[in-house]
Amino acid sequence: MTIHAVLLLYLLSGTGFIAYLFWRRPAVIGAGRVLFALSVAAHLVFIASMAADTGRLPVLSPAQGANMTVFLASLMFVFFAFRPSTAVLGAFFLPVAGFVLGLIAPSLAQPGATPPILLRIWYPLHTLSVIGGEALFAVAFVVSGVYLIHDSGIRKGAIHSAAMSLPPLRVLDRILAVTLSLGFVAITAGMIFGALWASSMGVSFSHLAAKAAAGALTWLVFAFSIHQRFAIRWEGRRTALITIIGFTLMVLLFIVLNLAYPNAHGLGLMT
Amino acid sequence: MNRIGCITISYKTAPVEIREKAMVSPGDFQDLMSRETELFALNTCNRTEVYWVGMDEGAVLARLAERSGMSVEELGKVSRVHRGRDALNHLFQVASGLDSLVIGEAQILGQVKEAYRTALGDKTTSTFLDKALHRSFRTAKRVRTETDIGRYPVSVASEAVELACRIFGDIARSKVLVVGAGDMANIAAARLKDRGAGSLVIVNRTHSAACTLAGELGGVPRPFEALREELVSCDIVVASTGSPVPIIAKSLMDEVMKARRNRPLIIIDIAVPRDVDPAVSKCYNCYLYDIDALKSIVDRHLTDRQGQAEKAHAIIAQEVDLFEKWVHSLNAQATIRDLFSLLDSYVQDEVKQGGLDGDEAARLEQGMRTSLRRLIHRVVSFLKEHPSLANIEHTRRIFQLDGNYQDRHKG
Repeated sequence: MTIHAVLLLYLLSGTGFIAYLFWRRPAVIGAGRVLFALSVAAHLVFIASMAADTGRLPVLSPAQGANMTVFLASLMFVFFAFRPSTAVLGAFFLPVAGFVLGLIAPSLAQPGATPPILLRIWYPLHTLSVIGGEALFAVAFVVSGVYLIHDSGIRKGAIHSAAMSLPPLRVLDRILAVTLSLGFVAITAGMIFGALWASSMGVSFSHLAAKAAAGALTWLVFAFSIHQRFAIRWEGRRTALITIIGFTLMVLLFIVLNLAYPNAHGLGLMT
Repeated sequence: MNRIGCITISYKTAPVEIREKAMVSPGDFQDLMSRETELFALNTCNRTEVYWVGMDEGAVLARLAERSGMSVEELGKVSRVHRGRDALNHLFQVASGLDSLVIGEAQILGQVKEAYRTALGDKTTSTFLDKALHRSFRTAKRVRTETDIGRYPVSVASEAVELACRIFGDIARSKVLVVGAGDMANIAAARLKDRGAGSLVIVNRTHSAACTLAGELGGVPRPFEALREELVSCDIVVASTGSPVPIIAKSLMDEVMKARRNRPLIIIDIAVPRDVDPAVSKCYNCYLYDIDALKSIVDRHLTDRQGQAEKAHAIIAQEVDLFEKWVHSLNAQATIRDLFSLLDSYVQDEVKQGGLDGDEAARLEQGMRTSLRRLIHRVVSFLKEHPSLANIEHTRRIFQLDGNYQDRHKG
């Protein structure tokens, strides 16, 4: 199984879901669901084969981290795809997933030997927590976009025929609340594990300053979002807007830190 | 195909004073009918239609004119006559709601089915009209499932329900607050209740009117002073009072939304003058629609339906073609030809299965052909002597000459 085959399956299933927005036939969404399930299964096989080659979970480079994020987010969207009220969300996620996989496909090769420093227990815990949190935020990001589109149509009373199958706002808001909360817990845990790992290895703070600052900034945006959502009851539009800003910021910082400053962790191999 | 005809007196051709006089039932035409004729009558508030097969058009029109208290000339001015394929096309359009005042409305299909039940009771339909009506039901179903013609609501009450469903999804757990007890509030609240709204509370300045409406709709009446309290706990508000000034001000809604902790609230203001200050729409998570907003949505949906009507006409054309094919097959000569083809294919299959070659196969084929022709000869002679539609149809069904002969039972 190659990443290109996985990518092709994602794009095909995405086409099925998009077609369903305009042509609401049970056979169309059925085909989209089957293809999506196959895509995720193929993606799992691909990740398993990479893990089998090295004996390590393939999250050792930024590209591999992004690949794992896409996979985990896909698992959540497959769950949505098989529920009638949220089935069409795949139409918004799959093109983004396809784009990210297309972008990282050339860089997915193993990054040489794993430095012993990364084998400490805190490091996999840190990585998996952060990637899990990112995947949950990715879901929240897509759902936020759908929320804003649907909300704007409802306010104007101009619901496009393609938007007729979108989930009700209450359902979208509930998904947003759950993914944001779990994502925030995962990211917070990831930051704590990262700090424990750095401290156990004796890595000085100056080496991690850029990464820590970026992480803290993203954490603050999402903390603000969670606070406003649950304490001030900014449910709906405002939470969706902050989520989009927070996730965009997270992606930009990820790109800047990993591409412009490859040694941001002081090791050059971090996600 | 030319045996079918129809006359229609509809909102397009006649005012309501004429339409209400032109109500007829199949029984009104019984004495004009014979074993070879068929008749179907449809009466709704927007139309009276009579379809006939094998009857004298002049006699049908004269009877309709007589029953409507008009002369045939006067009837000619307020009606349209369709014949053959055109009549069938019209029937399919009517059943699909394409000829309705509100294009694409679904109620007409139920009315056509009800009229058909009456005709079945009066035994005025037979092979041709039975098939045509079942085809019209099937066409209407295709139009509804294969186009978006019925997807967009086109009444203010339905639109209010649709918007609420877009926000809350299942409204079974939603609480509806009706402010006022007028007719419009009644219609919108009844629509929400029909769609499964969880609970209904009615607030009105005159408490007795609130009690009456609550009794009709199965809701709970509350005094007007409880308005603020009810606004905090409800999900959907329908406002339709006769108040000359807004009764729900922005300042009140600011307080209410704070107390609701910004839980979404949809307000349908169908009162003129408006009951809700337009500035309320600025409150966070408050979705406010006044009568003009709802009407403009409804107008847009009507335009969308017009667009969908083109697709629907294409479906109707397909179905009329299929029906025409069936009608052509209801010809004695064609049926006899089809019987012989069936016999040939049957003989060929048997010879092939026998696994014989040369002379033996030829002998078997000849023997079978002779026996089967002798058997079929009786049917062929009967058809030639009595080529009625019913006999032809029965023959075709017994020998399964049409792949889709069961369609008429599927509707």
